[in-house]
Amino acid sequence: MTVTNAPDATGGYAVDVIERGEGHMVLSMGPQHPSTHGVLQVITEIEGEIVTKASPEIGYLHTGIEKSAENLFWSQASTVIERMDYLSPLTNALCYYLAVEKLLGIDDQIPPRANQIRVLLSELSRIASHCVWLGTGGIDLGALTGFFYCFDLRERILDLFEMSGGARMHPNYIRVGGLGQDLPEGFLAKLDGVIDMYEPRMRDVRRLLQKNPILQDRMIDVGIISADEAVAWSLTGPTLRATGIQYDVRRAFPYSGYDQYEFDVITRTEGDAYARFLVRLDEMDEAMRIIRQVRKQLDTPGAWQIPDTKFAPPPKETIALSMEALIHHFKLVSESFRVPPGDIYQAVEGPRGELGYYVVSNGDNRPWRVRTRPPSLYNLQVLKKIAIGELIADMVVMIGSLDPVFGEVDR
Amino acid sequence: MPSSQAPPAGATAVDPTAVRPDIADARILRVTPAALRAALEDLKRDGFSMLLDVGGVDYLEREPRYDIAYHLLRLPTQAASAGQIGQPERVRVLCGVPGDATTVPTVVDLWPSADWAEREIFDLYGITFEGHPDLRRIQMPDDWEGHPLRKDYPLRGVARERTPRPSFALKSNVAAGTPASGRTAAGLQKQIAEVRARADGHAAPNPLQAKDGKQP
Repeated sequence: MTVTNAPDATGGYAVDVIERGEGHMVLSMGPQHPSTHGVLQVITEIEGEIVTKASPEIGYLHTGIEKSAENLFWSQASTVIERMDYLSPLTNALCYYLAVEKLLGIDDQIPPRANQIRVLLSELSRIASHCVWLGTGGIDLGALTGFFYCFDLRERILDLFEMSGGARMHPNYIRVGGLGQDLPEGFLAKLDGVIDMYEPRMRDVRRLLQKNPILQDRMIDVGIISADEAVAWSLTGPTLRATGIQYDVRRAFPYSGYDQYEFDVITRTEGDAYARFLVRLDEMDEAMRIIRQVRKQLDTPGAWQIPDTKFAPPPKETIALSMEALIHHFKLVSESFRVPPGDIYQAVEGPRGELGYYVVSNGDNRPWRVRTRPPSLYNLQVLKKIAIGELIADMVVMIGSLDPVFGEVDR
Repeated sequence: MPSSQAPPAGATAVDPTAVRPDIADARILRVTPAALRAALEDLKRDGFSMLLDVGGVDYLEREPRYDIAYHLLRLPTQAASAGQIGQPERVRVLCGVPGDATTVPTVVDLWPSADWAEREIFDLYGITFEGHPDLRRIQMPDDWEGHPLRKDYPLRGVARERTPRPSFALKSNVAAGTPASGRTAAGLQKQIAEVRARADGHAAPNPLQAKDGKQP
């Protein structure tokens, strides 16, 4: 008996069952299964209800983003790079541009206000991304109400992104040397609204989900990962910290001025799905704590882009008056800037863990190689280890608790 | 500060890692495939317990042609409170792989997390990992030919044999005169005619024929 996973053999149903002797069967979950949060196929072998083997199959969403990025200008590549982790696009762009700025040697010249806004938007992305995880994760377990509370909060945050860069999902707001523009008028008032609504809203969500006995029953002691396993399987982010290891890129390798802000690295020691759930919930509160500290600094206006017109377009009003500004603008648009040869690994703490970029330049105006270290890829991989010996019904819980985003798993 | 107006280093990378500016992002070690496992085992014993990522780079005209970059991390030591954390450290092991001998020993037995990363390099660069338990394509379809992330692989792919859906092919490829798959417009039209002939004479009138009056 062979495992049949080709779509033509299974007829394309979400769940296909192949009997294999007494009580033993091979069950193909996905790739169009609603609880896989994307296109994931898990070929599971079960005895009765117990999983004996799970092989996740990925690649259904492969779009060649890394290849595309090699063929775009340095400044254009961020448009495709933002589409990897589509739940927190700003984090991807931030990490990529931090790497480019280090290669250019301008990483210490970024104006403080630009760094503050970058931190602000990264933390807002973290909350928005965790809102999606929390809402859809609740739905997987039958708790529909929390979804609406979470998505309402996320919608207000996406409104802020829309104000900053013009688009809800992929604002492409971060640029080399700073930002695309300053925060528009009315942004801070709206941000205050989000800060004010956050606490009562999360209190409601916690009441709905955290203490819910049904959810606790489904999550406690499910998908346990030990600290040693977490290290061996290269887990990062909340999944790693739920096993008790205190590693957070924001603390370990601070970037964009994260060392100025007070926040705690949340850890728990249980390592099960409920621990990951609680770590993410507490992390949202810590993100809001950082946002409150950044908010206080944003009242003082300042530069949001380095003045070097070799990287940053000159201000719009000077283009009509100054020949030099026009030339710089034309050069930037038509052939972008060149980056000195070299390679660099830069990492940031994304909502799912350590998001890294290994960027290689050969001195040209396009990147030679942009290799992403997607946290979801490594976090999802551990599923084949933790699913063994669990109930087939808990597969949904485990996938949800690992919080994969298939845009970055498959790239 | 380097100027953005510096002349390009050429169409292909010579060896950017050899001329990199002084950036303290990680300690860099350069090894050959034969010495790879010993170096990684040493580092693992040294406390670099986490293999963060394995990624490939194709330098095309450099010798050795490929680099495989192993990003290792020494985790911060446990501390009672935030702010007391010991210094974590990164190291990058670059393994040069010649273009004519694309075989590297696997590290799956050292770090199980290397499984999918090595499969991805096998899939997209065509580098074989000796001893890998389940080496098959991961991102591309199983029957795909070629390795898309190689620099000599065209951005839009190479021509593949497949049966076009006549209406779609007519609209996008032939009418625009730019067959994305590398086939000629005439060849595609011939194929479409064959598909239509097989469809038992129920085919709709050929819009191309109406447009320029020529028989496909």
